[in-house]
Amino acid sequence: MSPVNTRLVLEDLEVSHKDSDGGTSGKHLLSGISLSVDPGEFVALVGSSGSGKTLTAMSCLQLLPPSLGITGGSIKLGDLDLTRASEQELNSVRGGRLGMLFQQPKRMFNPNRTVEQHLKEPLRLHGGLRGSKARSKALELLGEVGFADPVKGIRAYPHQLSGGMAQRAMTALALAGQPGMLLADEPTSALDKVLERQILQLLDRERRERGLGILYITHNIASVASFADRVLVMNSGSIVEAGPAGALLTRPRTAYTRELLAAARLAPESRRRPPSREREILVLNGVGKHFGSRRKLGHAALQDVSLTLRRGEILGVLGQSGSGKSTLAKAIVGLETASAGTITRQLDPAGSREATAVQLVFQEPHGAFDPRMTLRTSLQAPLRAHHDLSPEQRNERITAAMAEVELDAALLDKRPAQCSGGQLQRATIARALLLEPQVLICDEATSALDALTQRTILNLLLRLQREHNLSLIVISHDMDVVRYMCDRVAVLLEGRVVEVAETRDFFAAPQHQHSQALVEASIPCRADGLWSVLDVAKP
Amino acid sequence: MLQFITKRTATLVAAVVVSSFAVFLIPYFTPGDPVRKIIRSRVAGDAVDASAVQGLSESLGLNDPLAVQYFRWLGDFFSGDMGLSFVSRTPVADQVLPALSVTLSLVTMALVLAAAVSLPLGIVAGLRPGSSLDKAITAVTQALIAMPEYWVAPVLVLVFALKLSVLPTAGWNDLSSAVLPALTLALRPISFFTSAVRAGIIDAAAAEHVPAARARGLSQGQAILRHVVPNGLVPLSTLFAVWFAGLLGGSVIVEVIFAVPGMGRLLFDAVVNSDIPLAQGGVVVVVALAVGVTTLADFIHRFLSRTVGASLA
Repeated sequence: MSPVNTRLVLEDLEVSHKDSDGGTSGKHLLSGISLSVDPGEFVALVGSSGSGKTLTAMSCLQLLPPSLGITGGSIKLGDLDLTRASEQELNSVRGGRLGMLFQQPKRMFNPNRTVEQHLKEPLRLHGGLRGSKARSKALELLGEVGFADPVKGIRAYPHQLSGGMAQRAMTALALAGQPGMLLADEPTSALDKVLERQILQLLDRERRERGLGILYITHNIASVASFADRVLVMNSGSIVEAGPAGALLTRPRTAYTRELLAAARLAPESRRRPPSREREILVLNGVGKHFGSRRKLGHAALQDVSLTLRRGEILGVLGQSGSGKSTLAKAIVGLETASAGTITRQLDPAGSREATAVQLVFQEPHGAFDPRMTLRTSLQAPLRAHHDLSPEQRNERITAAMAEVELDAALLDKRPAQCSGGQLQRATIARALLLEPQVLICDEATSALDALTQRTILNLLLRLQREHNLSLIVISHDMDVVRYMCDRVAVLLEGRVVEVAETRDFFAAPQHQHSQALVEASIPCRADGLWSVLDVAKP
Repeated sequence: MLQFITKRTATLVAAVVVSSFAVFLIPYFTPGDPVRKIIRSRVAGDAVDASAVQGLSESLGLNDPLAVQYFRWLGDFFSGDMGLSFVSRTPVADQVLPALSVTLSLVTMALVLAAAVSLPLGIVAGLRPGSSLDKAITAVTQALIAMPEYWVAPVLVLVFALKLSVLPTAGWNDLSSAVLPALTLALRPISFFTSAVRAGIIDAAAAEHVPAARARGLSQGQAILRHVVPNGLVPLSTLFAVWFAGLLGGSVIVEVIFAVPGMGRLLFDAVVNSDIPLAQGGVVVVVALAVGVTTLADFIHRFLSRTVGASLA
């Protein structure tokens, strides 16, 4: 395939809502998008969620939802104008010359089909491979993306894969049609730093070895700074700034880019010291948790975990996907029963009652609310269950909690689908606060949010912690979140605590081998000397 | 998987035991003492000898504890001895088993017909929700729910048997005599299946992995065939089984109207004639079969849908 054929050029692209009669209304979702990606080039498209990045990618594939339409401009892949191409031409381009790598790999696989069945589709459509030839090619692809045991991986159903493995399989799927141009839509935003780096390195290798052009969509500049040749910054449907990665990162011209850069790294690190004179509010002693049948000795999610949490302390729990972080959170709240060890609560007797003193803030804000209920109804539920209050008193408490998390009380009568992820995450925090907890456990509470929203939520948590003297356990795979928030850090590896240290000591000199790898991977820009630049860029 | 099968099988056995115990207790709640009835039917005069009552109770095992009587009855039952019919004085098993085979064929035909009609209708409606075709299909199939069998059956007889004379009015002889009862019985399942298929397809088509499949180069048709339709039909297996089980005992009206010698007809006659052994036999067989079919459907559903009950680990 000659390189010329896969140059992607967007000129003055405009996307709008379609009216029911087929015409288009005045409001543009994308306007004046012009960009190009050459073969072998790594271009980053950056912007917060809702800025139109995914829409741009789906326009290139001509797979916009039926309610949207391209109303102006052109999209060219080589000589082919995709906006004018026939459906047949498009089918041979999609997944062939123009590949797409999705975020949320678990939801992008058909749950009822194996990895092999998925991989065979592009291999047959674009490579003409069938049967055993397709199978051996599929095995080869899985090996390339880092499956230790491709034979086992190929037989797996999507739900049997871990998040990281699913993303690797998704990558193999995107590369199966031998694309010359790849649209990568936040393929690593749900992954921890180590996995993110591995996926990026994999794509970078494809680029160097066979001239793959990459349009990499992300909300986190720092994650791509060391890989991208050029960076395009997108805000509310337009490209607001573009330039070579180094220049744009060192001399951002627009306020929006500066804001993104600041949010890309949560600096400065916590200056707090652990409240050593406070008493211990939560003591975990040798906690273990096994899943599966006892006969097979099951799968140990937690082993011999001993931790303490003092009153007013913020403890970070770091770990990769599958290290047992969520199981730990559930065990502390009481959603799982520990199979070994003890969890002792030494609560403030003047405070809330035993049953509701430890509250959990969930990871996926959209999953944490019943889609059919208004937020008011959802927020009333815990009060109904645990307190004898009149309807007026309940509403008063709910309104107060909404004010506490800086949400407009008008949102109470909306349903989850009408709210943004950031608003919902605030509402989950409000729901947890209603029961006046003494300990708040945040399980990846901000990892589904874009960097700007994440920062405001973290600041909110810090303020609430100060004002209510809460004890916080912040569970995350994100080193920056932990560094920003926490007094002490505990590292989980395969269900065991391998290191506990004060945050500053931990980042200065991690002791355990795994901790060192985590700290190392969290600084992707250091090699380019951009680390210090990012520090300067903060407001 | 093994654990799942064990659990479901245990539930099945428990359901059969509990329901058969309830059926076993029926005679104890009916007025009159059967022992005295039997003696009175054989001895002239109103006076009944107390020692005769005692003796007959003893020989029939009626003085044993209830549990012993129940398990003896259950054991006999499943070894084929379901007792004698009060009315015909012939073994219950000889009446239940032929009736069962008739009903099984009738219900199978009705459900195959229902599936053949509702699958294409539901898929077409589900792929274009809100279109005029969808609205027409939904309206017609919803209307079917509102048509009771005792109204549909005479209308069908009137049209096909009396006016057109292409099908027999009643009876159970050859395939043509099965058409009208099967059609009548199929109408409501058609309605429910169509709306279930439609809903399943709408859900499956909305899944994010469908545009992802298009992005790999599958055409619209290929994506629908491979990723929408199979996923959308998974919930149907359970619904199918529930209807199968329901129709086994629920075909009474149709069997009575069309004079089909099936289980519904048998149970109807047994109740009308107070033929308790026949009713007991019929009910236990229907319940056992219904529970068995539903359990089987659970296994199939579990197999089709990989993620149901998948462990979190």
